[in-house]
Amino acid sequence: MKNVVIGQYVPGKGFFYRIDPRTKIIAVVVLMVAVFLLETVWQVLIGFAIATLLVLAGNVPLGRIVRGLKPLYVLLLFTLFFNIAFNRTGVELLSHYGLPTTMVLSPWTVVLMLAATVAWRLLASFKKAKLWLLLAWVIGLYFIMAKISFGPVWSTWTLGIYDQGLVTSAFVLIRLLIIIALSTVLTLTTKPTDLTQGIESLMRPLKIIGIRSEEFALIISISLRYIPTILDEANKIMAAQASRGADFAQGKLKDKVVQVISLLVPMFIIAFKRSEDLADAMESRNFVPGKPRTRIHELRFNYRDLLTGFVTAACLAASILVRVL
Amino acid sequence: MGIQFTKVNYRYPGWGRETYGAIADVTLSISAKDEFIALVGHTGSGKSTLAQHMNALMFPTSGTVEIFGIPVTAKRNKKTDYNSLRKRVGLVFQFPEYQLFEETVEKDIMFGPRNFRITEEDAREMAKNALKMVGLSENYLRRNPFNLSGGEKKRVSIAGILAMNPDVLVLDEPTSGLDPRGKHTLMELFRSIREETGKTIIFITHDMDLVYRYADRVLVLEAGSLVFDGTPDKLFRDPDLERWHLDYPATLSVLDNVKKSLGWDLDIYQNTVGKAADELKRAVRRP
Repeated sequence: MKNVVIGQYVPGKGFFYRIDPRTKIIAVVVLMVAVFLLETVWQVLIGFAIATLLVLAGNVPLGRIVRGLKPLYVLLLFTLFFNIAFNRTGVELLSHYGLPTTMVLSPWTVVLMLAATVAWRLLASFKKAKLWLLLAWVIGLYFIMAKISFGPVWSTWTLGIYDQGLVTSAFVLIRLLIIIALSTVLTLTTKPTDLTQGIESLMRPLKIIGIRSEEFALIISISLRYIPTILDEANKIMAAQASRGADFAQGKLKDKVVQVISLLVPMFIIAFKRSEDLADAMESRNFVPGKPRTRIHELRFNYRDLLTGFVTAACLAASILVRVL
Repeated sequence: MGIQFTKVNYRYPGWGRETYGAIADVTLSISAKDEFIALVGHTGSGKSTLAQHMNALMFPTSGTVEIFGIPVTAKRNKKTDYNSLRKRVGLVFQFPEYQLFEETVEKDIMFGPRNFRITEEDAREMAKNALKMVGLSENYLRRNPFNLSGGEKKRVSIAGILAMNPDVLVLDEPTSGLDPRGKHTLMELFRSIREETGKTIIFITHDMDLVYRYADRVLVLEAGSLVFDGTPDKLFRDPDLERWHLDYPATLSVLDNVKKSLGWDLDIYQNTVGKAADELKRAVRRP
């Protein structure tokens, strides 16, 4: 849980911390649109370079963003695999570089592949470099299927890695990275309260179609505020039930159901109690949703917002230009 | 046998690589029989963390907790059944709301024994006995635990642990949120449980009156370290408890004030109101 950086605010000082949240939200949305307008891998690479520069200039802890990407690497690998497997345009790279492309499926190759898989899982369970092992496994499978051809042959098929497939997957990957980086910068540098205030302020025009932005923002901020509290409570309930012998890790399915109920019932009861208490506390301070209120921190635009707006507009204009030309 | 702490440290993980110390270098030994121990200390001194080490709900960052001969260290042993330790050392949490979940009191008390593979009939019998032990009548068995008063809920939650028949009973602030009378009935209850069964009882509290009156032994935690381990009498004879953020029992403070302002010759170390009154009478009658 600790590695999840998406949606986490990290206190700090820097340019991005001092921009108005409204500007930040609009800028992130506009920049995402700009990224989606780009068409070639070179363009997104330039976009990526610009995004990295901005992140560095804004003094955002880069390590945190990288760590936050960790849970997403499965998704990234997935896109990479599918683009390579299904995009068959352009030059075939394997035969271009003199590598075999005819894959043989025979009893021997299957046995060897299974052995390679077992070896990979065993190594992966106590070695750190998981990504390298995965790569070694994939290459191993490739060579087993390409080189082992003795014995009876079940079937053969042709593997092809096309340069366009690689390019497209790189394009998709980089675009995804930029978007994740942008949204991470937004949440890393904006306090949840500021974020909801920004959303509230931006949604105010929706009043015309009957959506009350204050209530919406209130709902968001209360739910955000209570996530850690409820997690904390869940841990305490689990400890209390564990001390009565409820083992959440082991046990038969029937026991598991009772154990999950023993966690959920107290959680619901406590959550309802909490929300009633919160409602009472808000009412006793004369909180009426939708009534005008003053704030301690008023949102104000300054020169930084102007600068951000200008850079954002320039990025959008540039991507429209390269799209049109 | 019992619970043996050897140089136990526990640090909570914080952001990144930082950690926060909760208990530091605690070494202590708790017998499995016939002890009545009060665990006291300032808020945040690590009392609850220490209590949760006693039944292997928490694993020390370094050091060893030996619970009935089974070592619990930072490294979990896959062969050890830590769950079985929770049957031997029963831990009652501060808020009954964290554990009550069934629709009847009986079912809720049976949850613990059933988890330890005890047959339904036996568990039912155990629930009945446990409820009797905490001083509630059998009528409560069919009642809904959520419709009980705070004190009754507390008793039911204690019965839920007692039903597992643990050798050691650890209670995290059992008297918090109870009225003064309820506090004393509950403490008397623990005393009778201990006298009848010989179980070791450990309770966390902030109430020095209860410590003085009921405990045989006091453990004082200050910023995670065990700074005192001895009898309440010895503890309250210490002239400077302020350094551990503790205060003195009411009887002691009153007698001390009387002694100082009136110049009477009093033995101020009386652990109940009754004894304090007797001491005052004795002093008044003296020529």
